Amino acid sequence: MSVSLPTQVESSHAVVALVGNPNTGKTTLFNALTGYRQRVGNYPGVTVEKKNGVMRQCGGAAKVELVDLPGAYSLAAGSADEAIVLDVLIGTGMHGAAPDAIVVVLDATNLARNFFFASQVMELGRPVVLALNMVDLAEASGMRVDTDALAERLGVQVIPVVATKGVGLDRLRRAICESIETGAPKSPLDFPDCVRTELEALRASLAGPEPGSNHVPTAVEALQTLLNPGGYHETRLVTQHGRALFEELAERRGRIVAAGESLAEVEARVRYAWIGGILESAVTRSRTLGEPRSEKADRILTHRLWGMAILLVLMCGCFQSIYAWAGPLMDAIDGGFAGLATWIGAALPAGALQSLIRDGVIAGAGAVLVFLPQIMILFLFIAVLEDCGYMARVAFLLDRWMGLIGLNGKSFIPLLSSFACAVPGIMSTRTIEDKRDRFLTILIAPLMSCSARLPVYILLIAAFVPNRPVLGGVVGLQALTLLAMYCVGTVVAVLVALVLKRTLLKGPRQSFLMELPAYKWPSAKTVLYRIYEQAKAFCVSAGTIIFAVAIVIWALGYYPHPASVASAHDAQRASASKAHTQRLEEISGELAGATAGVALQDEPQVAAALAALEGVENAFSDRVTDRDFAEGSEGRLAARREADEGIASIVAQFGPPGRTASALRQSSEALEQELSLIDKSESGAYLRQSILGRMGAWIEPVVRPLGWDWRIGMAAIAAFPAREVVIATMGTIYNLGDDQDETSEGLRAKLQSAAWPDGRKVYNLPVALSIMVFFALCCQCGATLATIKRETNSWRWPVFTFTYMTTLAYLAALVTYQTAIRFA
Amino acid sequence: MNDTGLASFGRGDSGVIEGVVGALPSSKRLADLGFVRGAMIMMVYPGIPCIVRISGRCVGLGAEHQRSIKLSTM
Repeated sequence: MSVSLPTQVESSHAVVALVGNPNTGKTTLFNALTGYRQRVGNYPGVTVEKKNGVMRQCGGAAKVELVDLPGAYSLAAGSADEAIVLDVLIGTGMHGAAPDAIVVVLDATNLARNFFFASQVMELGRPVVLALNMVDLAEASGMRVDTDALAERLGVQVIPVVATKGVGLDRLRRAICESIETGAPKSPLDFPDCVRTELEALRASLAGPEPGSNHVPTAVEALQTLLNPGGYHETRLVTQHGRALFEELAERRGRIVAAGESLAEVEARVRYAWIGGILESAVTRSRTLGEPRSEKADRILTHRLWGMAILLVLMCGCFQSIYAWAGPLMDAIDGGFAGLATWIGAALPAGALQSLIRDGVIAGAGAVLVFLPQIMILFLFIAVLEDCGYMARVAFLLDRWMGLIGLNGKSFIPLLSSFACAVPGIMSTRTIEDKRDRFLTILIAPLMSCSARLPVYILLIAAFVPNRPVLGGVVGLQALTLLAMYCVGTVVAVLVALVLKRTLLKGPRQSFLMELPAYKWPSAKTVLYRIYEQAKAFCVSAGTIIFAVAIVIWALGYYPHPASVASAHDAQRASASKAHTQRLEEISGELAGATAGVALQDEPQVAAALAALEGVENAFSDRVTDRDFAEGSEGRLAARREADEGIASIVAQFGPPGRTASALRQSSEALEQELSLIDKSESGAYLRQSILGRMGAWIEPVVRPLGWDWRIGMAAIAAFPAREVVIATMGTIYNLGDDQDETSEGLRAKLQSAAWPDGRKVYNLPVALSIMVFFALCCQCGATLATIKRETNSWRWPVFTFTYMTTLAYLAALVTYQTAIRFA
Repeated sequence: MNDTGLASFGRGDSGVIEGVVGALPSSKRLADLGFVRGAMIMMVYPGIPCIVRISGRCVGLGAEHQRSIKLSTM
């Protein structure tokens, strides 16, 4: 976890940290103060590391850099992200110097507990400003806070703000700039004598004769060290000062307990008593509070039966929307890219460059960008649920179920985030206090079907699952299949968790403890910004990794491009043309009175007949596309019969020229088809001879039992660094190996028509299912593995994750295919 | 001190906290969140986990945490 603040020496500007309890609107305030101009050091939507931004309009020459930190309840640092907050605030080594000032954001509707953390921060010896956020909500509920009285009592500035509306920001900026000059507040708290004695003695013993490189703990840190056996503070100090510290601490704790104090309660008792005192004088309530609105909503939303039902309905709704809303958009983008590809085909001369751009870049990267609408809808749902406060209720509802696998409800939130992307999901496990629970959550997070798997599911479902309403017309079969795919990953995750909890990660189940914040209307600005950030990240990824891999795959599939293939097929083309010319001569021989030197089709009668025949065929095509008749359907056959009758009547009408025209048409069509087949065969030959094709020949025996051909196998392998690549790869492989004229077909149509050498269709429902199941379970994401390594600080766990997931994926795909073909 | 604690509360029942017991760090975390002597606690939704209201906001509590909270006899 490498985060660093610029040190005082290196830069001439001031650094101010923004801290506070979770759900106080810190990030909203941060965005408002920096005007959304930030350097985001982490994944969109998750404040798990610090975010930097420059505060606008500070006045005066100095620039102020604002640092947004994760929410924290206490400087005891019980979880990994609270540890980050602590480290940044006290300025330990890897974070650079301590900030020049600290802004504590408090929720005005929840002052007592917010002040617990604020009082700890005020003891750090840095300048502090208190930003009282959401004062509008407080006032609406009849609460008034005398911020001047508070400020006077505390000796720090207390600024009321409403971050969502931008109220009080200027005053806050001024207060921040002033506080940097003013200096640190005095610590107001009085701990019992027994505690104070041990504190001072501990600080003295730690300050010792050691060189100044060791950070000397402040009083609040010493307090946390004493009161939290086995905690973050103790661990850090023991690393610095040696294991003898353990004994010293045990003795000191023993003396505190002997004096009649409880280690668990003493700090809370002292702080809340002090808080009660200061709030009593500063806060007035004009009316007693009835049942808060949130609680009324929670009667249903957290109800064990109805709450779950609503949750399931929401999930189904999400999947259904993905199809309903995104469908038209997807088709539009798909069509756009196909059109672009055709234009390139016409604009550039045939050869490596044209192929690179059309088959590599457009078919590749373009194929992935088509899925942007779906992914954005998924992110929209998750962002709205997070922003309105419903996530905590989901954790509450699922706590019992999570208990079945040995985790608690809090672990569900990172898993839910992993449905969008496992990387921020894994990072957000830093809020989980228990180390074993955190590791378990990290290890099963990649099984949650992330947004990169969505294109694979959607493409294959759209191509091979019929679009039928089921369950009384409420839901479509396609949407249901999508839901089923998500369930595959989830069910396997449950099984893996059960196994791990009994073996590698044994430990007691942690009891649920989580605040359920008041519901609020999701802020459109926040949600849209979050979606924008994630869409941008997706496009950047499409633009870089996928682009790079698409190019590589293209190159592997294009070269060596031996001339022998071209010449062999040119010979075939020549003979086909020759045959056509011969047929033309035979036909003209039949037509009595043909004028020498005039091309057959220009003979006036023949030309007229040709035009008429053309008309009938065009009418047939128009009719078929207008009514969208499927191949072999009743409607299509009927239309064809009519067209054939029309042709027969024209031939009869024109007499010999009519027959000639008909024969001409047939011969031309035969030539076209033959040339097309030769083109297809040529492309196929190029592909088989290419590096990719040869690699594929090796793969085929391994993937045959799964129902795959070598192209799917190669695409799956290419997807190991990043699974988004598979669509791009399939786009390229099928384009390269396909009739170069048919670029107007999307990838879906290509998959539906792809065939083995013997003509059998490659893709059918069992194959599609086996591919989807493989992708549901396989670990194909370098970024995820890198994140696991970083969060667990070891290579063991990413290797373990990769191995178990890939093995499971292969076996599951095998079973799926072999079972499905028995039923198909 | 009342031994039945939160487990016996129905919806709407309330009480005053006497203190928290149980192993560190879990009990300290509870205390730091405001579950201290003298605080008023009301049961919003009983069960495991339950939802209680304390100091004007709602907190979800699992079984072990529910057992850790000792209530004063009213």
